[in-house]
Amino acid sequence: MESEGFSHHISRRFNAELEHLRSEVLRMGGLVEQHLDTAVEAITSGDSDMGLRVSNDDHKINKLEVSIDEECRKLLATRMPAAADLRLIVMVIKTITDLERVGDEAAKIGYLASHLATDREPYASYTELKALGEHVQEMLHDALDAFSRMDVDDALAVIEEDKLVDEEYDQITRQCISLMMEDARTIRRFMDVSWVARALERIGDHAKNIAEYVVYLVHGRDIRHTERETVLQELEAAKGDRPISG
Amino acid sequence: MPKVWTWTLFRYGVALAAGGVVGFLYDRPTLGVLLVALGLLVWQLYNLYRLERWLAAGQIAEIPDGDGVWPPVFAKIQFMKSKVKRRGKRFRKLVKDLRASTEAFPDGGVILNARHEIINYNQAARLLLGLKNRRDRGQRIENLLRYPDFVEYLRNPGDRQAVDIPSPAGGDTWLSCRLIPYGPEQTLLLIRDVSQRVKIERVRRDFVANASHELRSPLTVIMGYLDALAEDDRIPEAWKPPIGVMQDQSIRMRRLVEDLLQLSKLESGQSVPKDRVVDVSAMISAARKEALALPEHPDHIEIELASRANLLGEETELQSVVSNLVANAVRYTPAEGQVTIRWSVDADGGHLAVQDTGIGIAEEDIPRVTERFYRADGGRARQRGGTGLGLAIVKYALRRHDAELEIHSRLGRGSTFICHFPRDRLALS
Repeated sequence: MESEGFSHHISRRFNAELEHLRSEVLRMGGLVEQHLDTAVEAITSGDSDMGLRVSNDDHKINKLEVSIDEECRKLLATRMPAAADLRLIVMVIKTITDLERVGDEAAKIGYLASHLATDREPYASYTELKALGEHVQEMLHDALDAFSRMDVDDALAVIEEDKLVDEEYDQITRQCISLMMEDARTIRRFMDVSWVARALERIGDHAKNIAEYVVYLVHGRDIRHTERETVLQELEAAKGDRPISG
Repeated sequence: MPKVWTWTLFRYGVALAAGGVVGFLYDRPTLGVLLVALGLLVWQLYNLYRLERWLAAGQIAEIPDGDGVWPPVFAKIQFMKSKVKRRGKRFRKLVKDLRASTEAFPDGGVILNARHEIINYNQAARLLLGLKNRRDRGQRIENLLRYPDFVEYLRNPGDRQAVDIPSPAGGDTWLSCRLIPYGPEQTLLLIRDVSQRVKIERVRRDFVANASHELRSPLTVIMGYLDALAEDDRIPEAWKPPIGVMQDQSIRMRRLVEDLLQLSKLESGQSVPKDRVVDVSAMISAARKEALALPEHPDHIEIELASRANLLGEETELQSVVSNLVANAVRYTPAEGQVTIRWSVDADGGHLAVQDTGIGIAEEDIPRVTERFYRADGGRARQRGGTGLGLAIVKYALRRHDAELEIHSRLGRGSTFICHFPRDRLALS
């Protein structure tokens, strides 16, 4: 997107480098999304091969993280960026950490899926996990979309979604506890289920973080650990003085 | 020269001459000529001013009148203006019709420039891809369509015809994306909703996988009892041969079920990762050993290794490629014939060839031999213990390793099956 912030550099090379950086982050995001999709599908379809594939493929994501990190360091050292460009690079460094964690969680889910699939009587195809999984997938997708579009409104919507995900996670935990109390033989299985739910909930948090970085990138305001009302007020006030762009 | 110009020049000449004469009467001929010239200049300027005003006013203003050369100038401009207006109207209508027809198109279309930035798209593309109006123009397509398969396809569009990806707009929608380059550095991305096709394929694959899986357990029970019966001394001698046949047939059936299962697994055609090295020479000698263990086999099974390069991929799948090809060659080659397995590497990549001097395949059958259960020679192969799935397994396993199968054959002379592996699948030691 030429029109946003970092479009007017004298050095066209620098522009191209920043564009490339953005695309690489989104490519990594795409890979992570695919892993998450496969992991969730492995849970719901009870396919142990699929689950193991996710947990074995995690190294691809890690490799991308390292190479993007390297690219960021090079840009910092050689271009000495300021303002919006600096924010982009800082944001990218944080985003790839979160994406890598999401990859780890997806690998964990894949591994647990292969466990659950070998279970004798799969429990009602884990409808609640599926719902939570789809919710989290959507959040991650929207957070990455918000990054590619630099859309603050979409990012704020993702941050709101996280509360619902936390609620769903609580529900699943409660359900697991009551099922475990009913029949002690199922404890092992439902421990696994609650681990999956926990991993999904963590992925939701990472998606929320990415959405927060988007707000930081566009407005230059760090909105982490801030109440929603305050954030909205601040952003409203910030509209007058557009961010210090590079 | 047009008459109007002669007439105007003549009038100006007369006016200047008259000015000169009047000036002469007052003893100032030059001043008289100058005054008249000044007057004429003012008059021209005035007309020029009116022309400018008229043009600035656009279509509505009445055409100004004037004299001398001005009326024809105005008239010609007027004529041109109306022509341009009519043509503009025609073009606008044409563009509107074109846009309406692309909007009505059920498939999505996105126009991309050389840097994969979105230039334009139609309504269907907007819905299928979940694009946001206006804002997504200028955005790189891979930033929104992040699916790894698609990004890979976008980077090397020559490798494949199209890719199927899940829709980013969510739901169970699957999209088939195809890139069609056109014009100077522009590409059309064609998107079709193929959810129905993907769903049917999945149902079919699941059915085959589940059915074969379910068949396996009763088969195991039957085989167990047959084994017990075959060894039981109390069974009358007359029953021994039928029990033997039943055993053979149940072994064949188990092989069939296993091949079907393997095929349905291979069919989910994702590319195999390139992180494991597979020893080619070990694989070939294992296949040779298996072939020599068959009850009927040709006298000569030769191995020619022209390279020490290995392959990157999944060992079990590659082993089944080699074993199936060798078993196939052995099955159709008489005892005095010869089977040769060759492995070579050149600039294009690795080539694994299995050549036999067997019965060969008729030319019209060659394209079809990799189909499931296709028999080039009717019942003959079945007597020789094939399941009819071997070459289909080879085809799908190769596809998962980005490799291609080439078949040369002549009836009565023998066949050659060559697997071409791309360079990036090789582990050069």
